[in-house]
Amino acid sequence: MAQANPEIHLGDVPRLEEVTFLPVSRKYLRMRLAMWGAVQLLSFGFVLAPFVAKAFVDSGEFDGFSAWWWPVGALSTLGLLWLLEEWKGFERRGYAVREWDITYRTGWFFRNTTTVPFGMIQHSELSQGPLSRALGLNHLKIFTAGGSGNLRIAGLEEEEAQQLRAVIEVRTQR
Amino acid sequence: MNTDFSVPRMQHPVGMAILVVKFCWKAISSFWPILIGLSLAEVDWRHYLAISLVFIGVAASAIVYYLRFRYHVASDALIVERGLIQRERLQIPFDRIQAVQLFQGPIQQLAGLTGVRVDTAGSSGSELELVAVRRSEAEGLKEHLRRRIESTHASASSALVAEGGEDTGAIFHQDKAGTPLVALDFPSLMKVGLSQNHLRSAFISLAVVMSFFQGMEDRVVAWLEGLPFAVQALIGLTTVLLILPGIMLFLLAGVVTSVVLAVLRYWRLNSTLDDEGLKLEMGLFKRNVFEVPFQKIHLTEWSSNWVRRQLGFETLRIRQAQAEGGAGGLRVFIPAVEPAHRAAMESALYPDLLPETAREFRPAGRLRWLLWLIALLPTTALTLDPSAGNLIAALLWSGFVFWTSGRRFRSLRMAVHGDAVVLERGWFWRTRVLLKMSQLQGVEWKRNALLERREIGHLVFHTAAGARSFRYMRKLEGLQVRDFALHQLHQARWALDGQGRGRP
Repeated sequence: MAQANPEIHLGDVPRLEEVTFLPVSRKYLRMRLAMWGAVQLLSFGFVLAPFVAKAFVDSGEFDGFSAWWWPVGALSTLGLLWLLEEWKGFERRGYAVREWDITYRTGWFFRNTTTVPFGMIQHSELSQGPLSRALGLNHLKIFTAGGSGNLRIAGLEEEEAQQLRAVIEVRTQR
Repeated sequence: MNTDFSVPRMQHPVGMAILVVKFCWKAISSFWPILIGLSLAEVDWRHYLAISLVFIGVAASAIVYYLRFRYHVASDALIVERGLIQRERLQIPFDRIQAVQLFQGPIQQLAGLTGVRVDTAGSSGSELELVAVRRSEAEGLKEHLRRRIESTHASASSALVAEGGEDTGAIFHQDKAGTPLVALDFPSLMKVGLSQNHLRSAFISLAVVMSFFQGMEDRVVAWLEGLPFAVQALIGLTTVLLILPGIMLFLLAGVVTSVVLAVLRYWRLNSTLDDEGLKLEMGLFKRNVFEVPFQKIHLTEWSSNWVRRQLGFETLRIRQAQAEGGAGGLRVFIPAVEPAHRAAMESALYPDLLPETAREFRPAGRLRWLLWLIALLPTTALTLDPSAGNLIAALLWSGFVFWTSGRRFRSLRMAVHGDAVVLERGWFWRTRVLLKMSQLQGVEWKRNALLERREIGHLVFHTAAGARSFRYMRKLEGLQVRDFALHQLHQARWALDGQGRGRP
């Protein structure tokens, strides 16, 4: 690139919008939904505990429960919105590998598209929790200097994850 | 003078004293609640014995630490062996070294010594600090390291891309005279002190005083209760009369603290600029010397408030790669940068920063109304009780914030040059962030579904020194800038590899 005075043509560069994104494993949706269910179960158990207690130990004249419906309502609204985000967001979840960079896209309401150039990757890591191990899934973490550009591509099939990791390793080395 | 750095060696004997002071200070600062508690309780000789035993132990451990500390330079790394009982061996590869900083506390200044701090990228806790090295030897050590680095060709620092320049050898360079940059004389030091945020300084001084008098309340109350009632009433009355002078004193303390802090930090600040980097020296009791090579700078931030601008000053923050989680990472801070200095600094760091090559971007117009709406929130509290006075106040406030949010909106700007990106915001407190596309660690385009419908989003630049964003951009422009940034990044990378300076 010349030092002098390069003209800037913003439109002439390759466009990221044109790539096709590869989806992550369908099993990962199941895992996310299972996690959603577990959190809902826990929080509802917590909120509904007083009702259960009342059913067992009826003190009679105490009537402080009218306000208690608020958290129940708020919790179910939030839970439904979250479910919507998981459900619709999974369709948009995916990654794309180009010659020089890797892009990861997530979210339905909160949409993110993050691109990390291979040249800036410091190291990558495959990680697995107990649940993802049972389902045979892998999460690929990509680390960059400073940590603010780190990526976590979650829910990859074992084989796919290994392949992607190999690709990253080769491209980072050159 | 011993200049053979390949043999493990100890620090200068005065280092023992410095380490003892350092260790004791650390002990005091971690046990001060106990010490204050003791000073209030009844103390007899056993307490004194216990305290002195603790300090003797601390001093002894400092001496052992000194005796067992060794450092040397191997073929590809700086190696340190240290530890009291469990020995650890620390290896710092040359291409991980971010910066070398010399510093002098009071003891070092008296003994003609200097401390050396080696900052590394990434993992915190692996940075190295030598407390006592002879000045001439420190220079020798730097020179030695520089030669080593050049001969090993350790240029493949994978994370950091330099455009054209030397890669790692530039960390250490000979002391050749560069162009002088900011140098603070006494009047400008005073100006810096006086234009600081005094309210914040006042609270700092208040906190210091409070922590000093912590636990004194009980004594004061006990003392008051011993006095006759009439005297108590008199004292109560005088404290009421003291409120106004108290506020005055508080503000005065703020101004004094600002000036004192400025003098302590920026005493005889002197900085020079050469073709490899920036060199900076400052401080009264603790003198710090920073050397920052250009390609290790990932962000520069210029900020100023209205008062500073009237004086023709700006504050410059230079950020280097930070460790994971935002902690660490050397940050150099220069107050009182004048326009000429800024021009010199920017032309050295960002050679492509010419006004005519810029493409300018502004946020979507919707943001102006959003800013106004957010600023209007306090008026809802006023209209809850709709009396005439409240309504007038709400109306006045709406007008005022309409004006301020308009100015704020107009101040938001992004300029894209060949490699540099400039982000500007604020009109009273003005900030200007500069970063290089060739140094980006990642680019992100984010928005929520509501913004997506309006074709608006936020562009986030991830650098090694943290993320900076330009918000509420039009989608078309945002994606163009993102693609352009990625393109420039790959071009720079490719040019670097094309010159045979990549990995073998």
